[in-house]
Order: sequence, then structure tokens, then C-alpha cells
Amino acid sequence: MESLLVLALSIRNFRNLAQADFRPSPRFNVFSGDNGQGKTNVLEALYAVLSSKSFRTSKVADLMPHTEPGGVAEVVSVRAKVREGDMTREQRFAVDQGTRSVRIDDKRPRSLLAYATASPVVVFHPGELSLSTGPSAERRKLLDRVALFVAPTGISELEAYTRAQRSRQKTLEARGIDATDVDHWETLVIQHGLALMEARAAAAERIVSRALVAFESIFTTPLGCEISYVPGAPREAEAFRAELRKNRALDLRRGTARIGPHRDDLALSLKGAAARTSASQGQHRALVLALKAAEIAVIGEARGARPVLLLDDVSSELDRARTEALFSFLRATEGQVFLTTTRPELIATEGAERADFQLRQGVISPLS
Amino acid sequence: MSPKLRRVLQLFARLPGVGEKTAHRYVLHLLTTDPSVAEELGRAVSELHHVFQPCSVCNNLAEVGETPILCDICKDHKRDPSVLCVVAKVSDLLALERPGTLRGRYFVLGGLLSPLEGVGPEALPVPRLVERVRQGGVREVIIATPPSVDGEATALFLRRELGDLGVSITRIASGIPHGGDLEFIDPVTLGRALDGRKVI
Repeated sequence: MESLLVLALSIRNFRNLAQADFRPSPRFNVFSGDNGQGKTNVLEALYAVLSSKSFRTSKVADLMPHTEPGGVAEVVSVRAKVREGDMTREQRFAVDQGTRSVRIDDKRPRSLLAYATASPVVVFHPGELSLSTGPSAERRKLLDRVALFVAPTGISELEAYTRAQRSRQKTLEARGIDATDVDHWETLVIQHGLALMEARAAAAERIVSRALVAFESIFTTPLGCEISYVPGAPREAEAFRAELRKNRALDLRRGTARIGPHRDDLALSLKGAAARTSASQGQHRALVLALKAAEIAVIGEARGARPVLLLDDVSSELDRARTEALFSFLRATEGQVFLTTTRPELIATEGAERADFQLRQGVISPLS
Repeated sequence: MSPKLRRVLQLFARLPGVGEKTAHRYVLHLLTTDPSVAEELGRAVSELHHVFQPCSVCNNLAEVGETPILCDICKDHKRDPSVLCVVAKVSDLLALERPGTLRGRYFVLGGLLSPLEGVGPEALPVPRLVERVRQGGVREVIIATPPSVDGEATALFLRRELGDLGVSITRIASGIPHGGDLEFIDPVTLGRALDGRKVI
């Protein structure tokens, strides 16, 4: 499989990075520096130019540098020269006056979805330990990121589903549980919800088989790990409709719908017990690693190009054994890796091509 | 800048598609060319609401004259009264008129069901639409609301409201644009086009 490669990166006014231009190594790129110097901002800028989004915030305004009151807001821009096979393209992400724009070779992409799947990228940051320990939202996001590649049509219905679901809730509040227009919104909730659950089920199926293999390779003793997709609503239209109708009064009281794919989950268990409550710290970390390894593998397969990997200070959250497992996985998986750390000497790249950079107050300088 | 000038700029910038820069261009243009241009524009704009009002039958824009106020389409006897096309807004009606293939009549809702923006069924003139169909003469109602979530919900709502009146109710198709290359169509549109395929 070909690896996606970032050949050159050029960052302007992205959070505390005023100006940074560098050519990364095709394998490991290690960014070190003290806390608060802008290491994570480099990864965020890369993620933004490859996917059109941030992994830290949904507000583009957060990406702007701090300006003095009355100062002129600068244009945030990230350019990346990307190579895939024998093709090279330039991607650009910009935020001007609060509006985001993306371009591939100076042309506007057909859609944000087309842009987001052009250059696959997977990020692993400390917050993702909640994939195993936290509520279902992070696991749904994992499903959605993978579904973007394995079932793009279905996942594009997420927005319509969300709007239909909210409209149903508002209609319940404004017009009561017997209003005929609740029926119509439920019809749309079902139509878009079924498509969405189908996409997530397809994503889950691919993730599960990969994650189990990865998990077994981290823990040599069998732990009876099981991972399964738990849809938030019946996956059959009539049953879904009956449940929605039955729950109208309850949903009105609680201010939110009890069923629907907004409640989807990926259930993780060890020896039949829910991992969230029963797993040890080490097992949680191994589960998260296994899920991320699966995300990388499945997106690579579905897209036909190995994704760029961004690892944000991950070894600080993993214990020694898990860090070793991660790096042996990274060495075995070819592809370009960008990682941040406060302790570069602990990053065991073992002879693989590597470039080290230092971050100080938003300035990137190569270390030889 | 003089407060008066700033006020004019703000008024222009309120128009859809006009930003600060364009507003500047318009105002400077009006200030530097023949004053009659600005005067004519001003007169025409200030008369707009006196000269045009919603058609009393279909809500399309109509010139005020005799009562009842009727638009050109409702006045046109050559139009087929048995086909009634329901649209969300006047600009949609004008778009549907462009191909010139629809020789029926219209009904403009003035909006779509949208509880998130506080628009419920009571805000749409549906009783008037039902009354119009009930009066007879209509054979087919074409629901031409957009293929968005709100547009689809409105279509479902209209189908229910008009369902018992013994007229055929149709929905406009959604799919590939003319001259479109399949390769470049987004997957949702392509999926809809497949769903809406027909026997040839």
C-alpha cells in the first residue's frame, strides 16, 4: 500500500505559530519542547489542512492567534504539499474573518466530505483514553471517522438525521405528542437514522475484526475481549416507528429522544463484563491502542493509502509496556508519523528515518 | 465617515449577497454618476411595496391594480388550472417558470416547516391551499419543496393535508443535473437518482 506523505508544510498565524515552514521526514517526525510552546498546535495545523477540521475544537475562531484589542485579525493559513503515489498536490486550509475555506490545487473541492477523504489522517491524543473509559460520544466519533471512508453515503445523512431528530423534539414541545406533524418528523428520523446506523454498522464490522487482532497482540494471555456495535434504535423501520411513538411523552418530559442513532455505542467487554467499569488501567489503554490501530488499518484499506499519523504526547498517558507496544506497531506499520513529546530521548524509533524539531514559543527549529 | 454615509452603506450591506466592499462600490458609484440614477433607484425602491403585493390566490408577486389582486399567472386564462404546483418561495416559482414546461398554476407557501426556526404548521397558509383544491378543478398537486430535511417534512405534511381530497399528489424528482458527469456527482444525489429511476 502506498503511504500518504506530507512533503512540505507551511503554517501562518495558526494559534501561536506565526510562521513555520519545514520539510518533514517521510517516516518519523518528533516535535519536542516544554509545555505550552505550540507542539500540539503543529499537529492540529496538520490535521486541519488534511481533514478540514480541528481535533481540539469545533470553532474555527479558536484557531486564530490572540490579537490585541483593536488589532487586525490575521488570516490563518496552512499549506501542505502532499504526495500520493506519483501524484503531488497542494492542499490549503484557511480561516479569514471567521470563515473557513479549503482548496486542493487552488480549486474548491466538491464538498467538505471530498476534501476530508482526499488525504487520510489519524490522530491519537491523550483525550482519547476516554474511548474506553468515557461516555459513548467518543466511540461514535470513531465510528463516524471510519464510516467516512467505508460508507460515505450513509454517514453523510448524519446532519439530516440530527436536524430531523431536533425538529421532532421541538415539535413535541410546541405542539404536543398528538400533533400530526410529529409523524412526519419521525418518518424523516427513521429514514435518515436507518441509513446512518447502516453506515456505522459497516464501520464497526471492519473495526472489530482489526481491533481484536491488535488487542490479542498486546496481551499475550487471552482476556476474552469482545467489541460490538450497539445501535441506539431498532434497525427496522416499523419497530423504530413504534418505539418513537411509544416514547413521545417520555421524550417530551426528558427534553431528548431516548432512542435513535444519537445513542449508538460500540460496546467493549472483557470476559463478558463491560470494560468501562471492570477493566484495569492497563487494559483500558490496551483497548484504546487496539481501537486506534484498527482505525489506522481500516482507513488505510478502505482509502487504499496509508494515513498520516499524528500522536500527541501519547507516551505520557501510556505505561512503559503499552508505549513499547505502540512503537513496535508504529515501526511495523510503514507510513509517515508526526509526534510530540516533552522527552524525545524516550521515543524509540530504532534506526528508522527520523527528523527532530524543537518548539519554543511558537517557533519550530530543526535539531540535527 | 459621515454618519449619513455610513447609514446608506449599512442599508446596502443588508441586501443578500452584498458585503461591505460591494456596498462601498454601489454607494460611490451612485455618488459619482448622474444624480438621476440614484433618484430613479430611490423612487422605484420606495414604491416597491405599494406597487407589488402578494397575489390573493397564490401569494406570487402581483402588481396592485384592480381588486382582487392577481398575479400574471393567475390572470392568464391559457394556464392549465388542473395542475397546481406548490413551492416554498417566490424565487422557487420564478426558477420553475424558466424552463417554460410547466403550464399549470402555483401556490407559494412563503416558507417551510421548520420547528428549529419556530415555524410550525400554523404559520403556513395550508387552509387556503386546501380550500383552493377543494373548490375543484385541480387534478394534480405537484409538491416542489426543496429536497432538504425541512422541505421533505413539509412535503409529508402537505401530502397528509391534501390526501383526502381526491387529487393526485406528486413530488418533484431529485438527481443528476443536465449535462452532469456521473463521476463527479456526490453520493447522496447519485443515490437519490438511483432510487428515482424509471422504466424506459
